[in-house]
Amino acid sequence: MSSAFCAALAMMSGMANAIGEAMVCVASINGISRNPEGYSKIRTTMILGCALVETTAIYALLVAILCLFIN
Amino acid sequence: MFDNFFEMVIAPEVISSLIVMGIMMILAIIVGIQARFQDPLKKPKGLLLITELGVKFFDDFTRNMIGNRLPNMGGFVFGVAVYLFIAFIFGLTGLPSPVTYMAVPLSLGFTTFLLIHITSARFTKWKYFKRYVEPLPLFLPINLISMWAPLLSLSLRLFGNAISGWVLMTIVYNALESLSGMIFSFMTVTFPDGGAVGAAILPPFVTPVLHAYFDLFSGFIQTTVFISLSVILIGQEVPEDEENVELSRKGGN
Repeated sequence: MSSAFCAALAMMSGMANAIGEAMVCVASINGISRNPEGYSKIRTTMILGCALVETTAIYALLVAILCLFIN
Repeated sequence: MFDNFFEMVIAPEVISSLIVMGIMMILAIIVGIQARFQDPLKKPKGLLLITELGVKFFDDFTRNMIGNRLPNMGGFVFGVAVYLFIAFIFGLTGLPSPVTYMAVPLSLGFTTFLLIHITSARFTKWKYFKRYVEPLPLFLPINLISMWAPLLSLSLRLFGNAISGWVLMTIVYNALESLSGMIFSFMTVTFPDGGAVGAAILPPFVTPVLHAYFDLFSGFIQTTVFISLSVILIGQEVPEDEENVELSRKGGN
């Protein structure tokens, strides 16, 4: 029971992660609407940035999996 | 020392990693033979063309990021990128993917970690040890702890991504199997090992999309992130004074 609670608590970082990833998307959409020629470059950078931002979520998921399965 | 050598338990992921290395070696030998017998005046084609494009891309990539001080870094990056991508999509064969075993991403991260420190020591000589007492000698314990941060972040990013994909795929497979077993429960045919045929009908129609995301797309993105971060972290240690490069070239000539 407590391990499931810990896993849920660890996944709470997903909230902050969603906001961060949304900020990456908003910035890239703004960039594309101002400069449509740079679409391909901005898209590549956005996917890379999204992957970097996602890292915190992956860490949280790792901690949650550890909480669930190690005990 | 070798008493228990043959009783040692080798993780299946390590054997997968060896298979991936074998695939890479065979590819390298084929490309080497093709390159040896290739007429340099003719257009390359097939595997040789792909390899030449890759070599050019990674050489340009490292030259943009690091500069001209480390010209041989393209080969390392190319090798790591090919290994990582094949290791990520190796899970599609049904064998365990090497990246889901912590030792493999840890070794890859440790390679980058060693390269960072060797590059720093190579360019700053004895001033290398100054990085541990900056900005004050009081910061020595903090610096000693924070020097491991790149290793942890690089290896845990790869491991976490691979293991999360693997766990989610396992959950989806189990759920779909029981769902399909419930829907097609009227089929009484069974496999030779006792499993119901009805349970195997639904999963092949749903999981390829998830495999495409978790293995192909995610593997490609994580490979890109890993090599970009490695090159950026190594490039940070290289001093960027172009005048010295020019001077040393002139002096060399």
